[in-house]
Amino acid sequence: MGADGIARPDFQKLLNVLGARSPEDFSHMQTLAERALLNQGVTFSVYSDRRGTERIFPFCLIPRIISAPDWTHLERGLEQRIRALGLFLDDVYDGQRLFSERPELRDIILNTPLYLPRLRGVRPAGGVRIHIAGIDLIRDGQGTFRVLEDNLRTPSGVSYVMENRILSKRVVPEVLELARARRVDHYPARLAETLRAVSPESPDSSTVVVLTPGPYNSAYFEHSFLARTMGVPLVHGEDLFVEDDRVFLRTTRGPRRVHVIYRRIDDAFLDPEAFRPDSMLGVRGLLRAWAAGNVTLANAPGNGVADDKATYAFVPDFIRYYLGEEPILEQVPTYVCAREKDCQYVLEHLGELVVKTVDEAGGYGMLMGPQSTQAERDEFRQRILAQPRRYIAQPRVELSTCPTWDTASRQVVPRRVDLRPYILTGPQGPWVLPGGLSRVALRAGSYVVNSSQGGGSKDTWVQKEAV
Amino acid sequence: MIARIAEHCFWLGRYLERAESTARVLQMTEQLSLDAELASEHCWTPVLAVFGERQAFAARHGVEAEADGEAVQGFMTWEESNLSSLVSILSQAREGARTIREVVSRECWEVTNELYLWLVGGAGQEEYAVSRFGFYQHIRRMVQLCLGLFRSTMLHDTPLDFIWLGVMLERVGQTARLLDVHHHVFSGMKPSHLVVETALWLSLLRASSGFEPFMKTHSGRVTGDAVAAFLLFDSRFPRSVHYCLDSAYRYLVRLCPPDVEGQPGRESLAFMLPLLAELRPQALARPDATVHALLTRMVEGTAELCSLISQEYFGRKPVIPDQTLGAQVMTG
Repeated sequence: MGADGIARPDFQKLLNVLGARSPEDFSHMQTLAERALLNQGVTFSVYSDRRGTERIFPFCLIPRIISAPDWTHLERGLEQRIRALGLFLDDVYDGQRLFSERPELRDIILNTPLYLPRLRGVRPAGGVRIHIAGIDLIRDGQGTFRVLEDNLRTPSGVSYVMENRILSKRVVPEVLELARARRVDHYPARLAETLRAVSPESPDSSTVVVLTPGPYNSAYFEHSFLARTMGVPLVHGEDLFVEDDRVFLRTTRGPRRVHVIYRRIDDAFLDPEAFRPDSMLGVRGLLRAWAAGNVTLANAPGNGVADDKATYAFVPDFIRYYLGEEPILEQVPTYVCAREKDCQYVLEHLGELVVKTVDEAGGYGMLMGPQSTQAERDEFRQRILAQPRRYIAQPRVELSTCPTWDTASRQVVPRRVDLRPYILTGPQGPWVLPGGLSRVALRAGSYVVNSSQGGGSKDTWVQKEAV
Repeated sequence: MIARIAEHCFWLGRYLERAESTARVLQMTEQLSLDAELASEHCWTPVLAVFGERQAFAARHGVEAEADGEAVQGFMTWEESNLSSLVSILSQAREGARTIREVVSRECWEVTNELYLWLVGGAGQEEYAVSRFGFYQHIRRMVQLCLGLFRSTMLHDTPLDFIWLGVMLERVGQTARLLDVHHHVFSGMKPSHLVVETALWLSLLRASSGFEPFMKTHSGRVTGDAVAAFLLFDSRFPRSVHYCLDSAYRYLVRLCPPDVEGQPGRESLAFMLPLLAELRPQALARPDATVHALLTRMVEGTAELCSLISQEYFGRKPVIPDQTLGAQVMTG
């Protein structure tokens, strides 16, 4: 929707088709869609719940539509960003050329637990580090897309993109056809191809697996979805073992060599030998096998240094430095509290800024300045003074809204949305899935779109080029 | 295939079969109890005995409650602390299917998930209150649907072999326990009245889905010995002990083909042969042979076989067989 609350003209036609349905009709379709999600087990697990209850990710049938020119711009910008971030990671885990030119960045960037110095000098098999990226975008009051966050470790949500599209096809097929939306269902095949392409063995004789922490993980549905749609085994840490720096799968017919692991376990739990000795999730010796080049881990360990919220502030610099190009995508101005001047400004303007903890996600560890109380601001002031490296601050950016079905009042209302496109990178370079996950704040006035905080999702339709 | 997943497949088959069997036994007993000719405890005590839960039930509800059909049904349907209850079994089956969601077909997963959500989400409780028969029927149909879908929507490959191995071995135990308990109770009853006795044998046949097949093979002549022989030896009836063990043997041969060297599974196969050889009518011809002794050997032999399979395929340590069915659950 535009700032005036009226839908952008390209989409008016589609809205008219959808609008021809009565509220009763719509309500009914919405209920059917949600029941289908529940019965199919398209859910995420809620950690806090003792019985491991699963919830569906609330789904709004009204799609979010992105025009072809807007998408082309985003696609180019995302590819550029991923290429620069990949080069940055190569550099930071090798020669660290960057710091000879920008010495002031050394401490800010390397001073995070997400940087793993012991991995310095390791070139991953296949040469790629960010095989799967999810970049969070928002659209500001002027309609400009801005990067909000890079997710380069284990970004989740892509399964909902595909499940949402399945529902759209079932429930609003005529609108989907009219919109000429680009397809998304080839993602698993592209992912499998990407993973095989970076194997230390020839792609055709490589075994690819998805490694999950198990059914109690909140994203277990997605892990199993990806394994199922790629046709590869979904494994737990206990299913794998390492011998002679090679990784094997325990099968009913004896050990079987594994070449590529799409791991959905955080770095810290990946290998009890290298990291947390208490981890029951990982595989002993996995890091050695990876460093020896005998197995590919997607994404590569240590990527966290590039999606750290403080590092984020310098990504435009990386694009200029490593690629010699001007950044195509805007991002959000960011104050890095590790820098004295920034820190002082942040402390003086706490009431206007959004403060974020660099190593927390899912909407946790945040101070929303304009809505905060004096006590909350005081608490954050103390926290920032104690550990400035852990905090950044940004001006609050207006999120664009999207027409959204409100179940309670049974009408269409504007609600804020963000967008997470997914980018796959193989030896040939990045590829962007058309669309991505649109997350929507379901409460009026809310900016919070995270599933863990009660957000919902929408299908995202990228329009094909005008014929 | 991955050993952990093979174990989940095996147990998914066992739990689903166990759920169907439990619902069937409860449904048939409920029907039987509507005929006033039998004292209530003669109906419901055997049910608890079949599932090996007499002790647990008595500890919780008292021995006298064994005659109370509602108490027994509530215990065997809703009590979560009872590992043999339908709610426990179906939650185990559903959790197992969810864990190996990428292995079972979408259709099978959806049926298992829907059944579980129906049971715990309110609709099941409502049906239980309104129509007991319909309640058990719904569970049975959904499980049967799922077992059928395994065959028609999944690759006929190792995962499916493990699922059916689980179904078949569970079925051996279910039929053997059912026959053993009823044979014991009915034979000991007096005075022996032909009509009552026939009704009892018929109810046993119904509880094992064998009424029509039995009638077809025996042209309506119902005797205790004929029913026992049918449930033990008939190689065409898919719930007879012989059919199930023989079928399990064939799944094991598929998993461990005799012409391929170095495959695990040899011990399990070798263990089964004498067990199968015993399952012929001549086994009861000797004067000292009893149905009970033969059934006990089958129940114990099957438990031992499951332990061997766990060792050979799932990398588990030997388990000590337990007489309580609820204790036979997936561990670890």
